[in-house]
Amino acid sequence: MTLLQLEGLGKRFGEVWALRDLNFTLEEGEIVGLVGPNGAGKTTLFNLISGRIRANTGRIIFAGQDITELEPHEVCHLGIGRTFQSSRPFPRLTAVRNVLVGRVFGRGFRFWPRPDDLETAQELLDVVGLLHKAKTPAGSLTPSEHRRLDLARALATRPRLLLLDEVAAGFSPVAVKHAVGLVRRVQERGVTLFIIDHFLNLSLRVSDRLLALDQGEKVAEGPPPEVMRNREVIRAYLGLRQEDEDH
Amino acid sequence: MERAAPPKLDLRGPDRAIPVLLLLGLVLLPFLAGSSGYVLQVFTHALLLATLALAWNILGASGSVSLGHAAFFGVGAYGSGLLSLKPGLSPWFTIPVGGLFAAVLAVVMGLFCRRLRGAYFALATLAFVEIPRVVTDNWEGLTRGSLGLVGLPGLPALTLGPWRVEIGSSAGASYYLVLSYAVVVVFLVALLWESNLGLALQAAREEETAAKAVGIHVDRYRFLSLLLSACLTGISGAIYVHLTRYTVPGLVYSLHFSAVPMIFAMCGGRFTILGPALAALVLYPVDQFLFHPLLPAGHEFLYGLLLILVVLFMPGGFWGALRRSP
Repeated sequence: MTLLQLEGLGKRFGEVWALRDLNFTLEEGEIVGLVGPNGAGKTTLFNLISGRIRANTGRIIFAGQDITELEPHEVCHLGIGRTFQSSRPFPRLTAVRNVLVGRVFGRGFRFWPRPDDLETAQELLDVVGLLHKAKTPAGSLTPSEHRRLDLARALATRPRLLLLDEVAAGFSPVAVKHAVGLVRRVQERGVTLFIIDHFLNLSLRVSDRLLALDQGEKVAEGPPPEVMRNREVIRAYLGLRQEDEDH
Repeated sequence: MERAAPPKLDLRGPDRAIPVLLLLGLVLLPFLAGSSGYVLQVFTHALLLATLALAWNILGASGSVSLGHAAFFGVGAYGSGLLSLKPGLSPWFTIPVGGLFAAVLAVVMGLFCRRLRGAYFALATLAFVEIPRVVTDNWEGLTRGSLGLVGLPGLPALTLGPWRVEIGSSAGASYYLVLSYAVVVVFLVALLWESNLGLALQAAREEETAAKAVGIHVDRYRFLSLLLSACLTGISGAIYVHLTRYTVPGLVYSLHFSAVPMIFAMCGGRFTILGPALAALVLYPVDQFLFHPLLPAGHEFLYGLLLILVVLFMPGGFWGALRRSP
């Protein structure tokens, strides 16, 4: 079943098209890696889907509903969670309360906390391996712990689709291995994943398909080995473009 | 599985005993003060300022600095004063109505300032005070303009079965009325921060973009917190006007009633529940008993000096600095 459908999506900043006429479809349950060099439009695409910025052209359809004009909190309530390229914890709140916020507000609003909200928050901290830091203020965690806390908080909103923005950037090989396991566990919970991965250290191992962007346009999509052999993708990553070859 | 503690308010002071002892001291104060009406008067005003600081800090702890709460104080004062003067309604009725007037004004302010944050919000609120002040000053047919309101009814007697307490003519009874109101405000503020609404406000204060991304309707909750803060401030203004029984625009719309609650909240600790009230109960009496006799003209320099010192050396405020680390 189609979960997310992008139709002719475009975003312009001033005179520059950060994303141009993008058509793409995500099926429920799959893991798709979004790759491309700096400035390809990856984060712009996530910001469009999550309602943080408005598209200039095209539509975003999520589970049959047009979400192009929705606000971020409305998009979240429908079941799209996200993490941020540079993590955005609530620094003065403890780790467990960071996750609790996602649990309480992810699908609407309840005035009073429920006891099982806290248990769920702790369980999710356990999933990302941060249970021992539950009572630590988020501001005192390390950058890699921030990434995992971001992930736990996004999972707490009970997403059907999760947008992970550079969740494994800068991780050691061991940490990437852990991240691979983590992504698999998230998928087993029935979550569809869209993963931005500039350095390809995570997406090549877990993705069912890759979507490659360069300068705001789709250059390839398909199974990872096929996309990685694509001439356009190699050019984009190595910095060779048409104008370079002409010289 | 290791169990973490239930969610602790990060807005709680170090020791539950302190609030209880403090309340006991405040209840006994009229007996300790003996026949000194002045002491009681100072503490009545300190409690009123404490309610203002607590109300101000509903916004403060949500991350917004308002420099315009005198607008709500003045509208509450004038609203209640006028309704008790001309139609001659009972202050028991007009005081809450004063709070509602302030909330209505907050709706207007909230619509204008919706997109403003930080210093822009603070400056907009500072300018906003001028609107109700100028209207009050110039709508002479209704408000008697700069002549002000005189001869306002005091707080009326309260009859409870065989007991009849003349609140208006008794300094002790007025004191207890304001103390009761302050306890109610503390209770409401604590309730707010225990609820999920408080959690939403804290999250939005810490990281607005992330708060929106996890489903928090930030604008709506900010708006609600502004309404609550304004309403409580308006009620304080209404109580004030029936205590003093006169008012002029320059008094209730003065910078004093915008700045002093902020100073108390900052000094006491913006991210605590009781800090703002404690600061009011300590600093205002110190100002009145110690600095006022020494420097009759410039005694309020104390507040300015303290604010600078606190911002520089104790950004969490006194109460915040006292808190045990989690």
